[in-house]
Amino acid sequence: MSASKITRKDALLYGGAAATGLVAGGAAVAGVAIRVEQEKGTTAAEGEPIVARFVEGELPVTDPGARAWKDAPRSTVALAPQQVVQPYLDKAGVTALDVRALTNAIDVALLLEWDDDSVDDLDGIRRYHDAIAVQLPVRASQQPPPIMMGAPGTPVHVLQWRATWQRDIDSGGNTGVDQIYPEVVHDVMPDDILPPETARLYWVGREAGNPLSQNVRSTPVEEVVAEGFGTVTHLPNQTARGHGWNRGGRWQVVVSVPSARPGVGEGLLPGTTWPVAFAVWLGDQENRGGRKHISTWLPFEIESGS
Amino acid sequence: MATVPNWQLGRDMEYPYAAPRPKKQFTMIMDTNKCIACQSCTIACKSTWTWGKGQEFMLWNNIETKPFGFYPMGWDVNILERLGEQTWDGDVYTGETLFEAAPEGERVLGWAPAEEDWSHPNIGEDEPTGNAFDTTYIEDRPHSLMWMYYLQRICNHCTYPACVAACPREAIYKRPEDGIVLVDQTRCRGYQECLTACPYKKTMFNLETRVSEKCIACYPKIEQGLQTQCTTACIGRLRLTNFLSAPDRADPRKPADFLVHIRKIALPLYPQLGLEPNVYYIPPTHVPAEYLTQMFGPGVEDAVAMYENAQDDPELLGLLLLFGSTERIMDTWDVREGIARAYDARGEEIVAVPLREPTFVRPFEFATEVAGEPVTGYRHNT
Repeated sequence: MSASKITRKDALLYGGAAATGLVAGGAAVAGVAIRVEQEKGTTAAEGEPIVARFVEGELPVTDPGARAWKDAPRSTVALAPQQVVQPYLDKAGVTALDVRALTNAIDVALLLEWDDDSVDDLDGIRRYHDAIAVQLPVRASQQPPPIMMGAPGTPVHVLQWRATWQRDIDSGGNTGVDQIYPEVVHDVMPDDILPPETARLYWVGREAGNPLSQNVRSTPVEEVVAEGFGTVTHLPNQTARGHGWNRGGRWQVVVSVPSARPGVGEGLLPGTTWPVAFAVWLGDQENRGGRKHISTWLPFEIESGS
Repeated sequence: MATVPNWQLGRDMEYPYAAPRPKKQFTMIMDTNKCIACQSCTIACKSTWTWGKGQEFMLWNNIETKPFGFYPMGWDVNILERLGEQTWDGDVYTGETLFEAAPEGERVLGWAPAEEDWSHPNIGEDEPTGNAFDTTYIEDRPHSLMWMYYLQRICNHCTYPACVAACPREAIYKRPEDGIVLVDQTRCRGYQECLTACPYKKTMFNLETRVSEKCIACYPKIEQGLQTQCTTACIGRLRLTNFLSAPDRADPRKPADFLVHIRKIALPLYPQLGLEPNVYYIPPTHVPAEYLTQMFGPGVEDAVAMYENAQDDPELLGLLLLFGSTERIMDTWDVREGIARAYDARGEEIVAVPLREPTFVRPFEFATEVAGEPVTGYRHNT
């Protein structure tokens, strides 16, 4: 899937939901939402730039206390409840996000920090996770895509870290019923008595290949493209890395992506400036999906080594 | 918002999509009067579809005692209270639907159960209500003025599903070929908006796969012309899996059309919510009409009277007797010479059921010989 060929139609077909008569109506709803958002005139990237400081060598993706992060300039980004597209987030649970960034011309990494004294890293009934997302345009242009996750023809590239996925990695995939309810008593389960290939069929989402349903994973960061609200499409080639920690009531999350962005879009090359936007979810306040905190587009400078 | 026709409300209503009706609509008819809450249906469903890890609390099918039974806890009284007063002018609903009453920033007026609300599927079982001062024998009542009854619940595979309306991913869809509502397991991202939006609380969150799941109307069976697991496991033979036409295309030879549109003996569950649910209930005969009207809309009293007269109504009686008589889905049926017959779409007979089982009454006195001596006596329980 090349960057120039990602369309809303692809997004829908990838999900397999296009075979319904309701999809056309849905597209119309999304279109209305995007128009509303455009009328609000939130498309320009304004404010003090976030600078990705150039450093030599490996980026400290798993060490938020590294010297390179301490030396990188810190920007504070304002967050507001998403109230453009339904469903809205009623009220803000966090208002500021601290951002630092590094590049070594091979990767670009961001250290993202926000206050959250509740660690929410399991998904259950009305249990939602903490998360953060970084949004970048797929292609450079005069005008950034609509802030609400792009629009048909102007896709965005989103890097999302979830606390649940971090726990998947830290625990080796022990993030299900036994962890949500530690005192749970099971009756006979399919995997107790059936061959594994048959038992697996009872985890339909996982067996159908839904990336959300996998509890064994190699990175806590998912790379997706989107062309508007509700069109998030998992990329077949996942190149982003990251790590998150909650220390003293504050999340510190590093998200890293190859500068070249192969298979996604134009590279985040040294010496270029991009719009960037952020979204933050607080699990204990039932944030999920569009019920999130968002920033505006901000300028993001990628320093060159020279 | 689009404007769509909702025949159960007798008027048009607002819905987020201009949803066309499917070619056929899956439907289920429930005769509440025959249910004994044995939960055979519940177990048939559970053991077929939801015995995996992560589905422990899931009952796509459940039977609950009304008025005090709920799964999840308080599912109907909570949304009814939030919606406020619901008024009818004859057969026209004059109140607001869940879509019309949606607050700013939401597509549907919803209510999200807490996780513990799912933990007591049998709460309130067999608890009666009513006039406790008149519980001694009353001549014109079979039991007393106390009452309760069993409500059979699956996904309603609504014409205007709230789960579809609320899903920001368009991950839930209604199949154009049979109207079955399904969650695309590859597309869902686990936001649980459907759990809040569905007033019947029939979408559920899988704790292992982190996506929503729901009753699939046993579509692999439907595609083979067979009735669902909950239908065929029902020992009370109170369920009928069938297809329902829009009212302007109702065909009296089709079982569901006959019961819902022609005779109007089977009524929708909480039609005032505006989803045009496609499971229809023959209301219980012993429950106060006020309660039943709130639950099944106007038409309850006529439906009860018709049901009580079924013994003198061969056409209706014949169809009710065909419930649970075959695993195959009936296309049409008729009653001739005391026999009810079901036919498939090619007009070939599937099953035949007599309106009255042939019986032979033996005299209870007998006379025989034992060792050459005449003996007379009475039969016991033989």
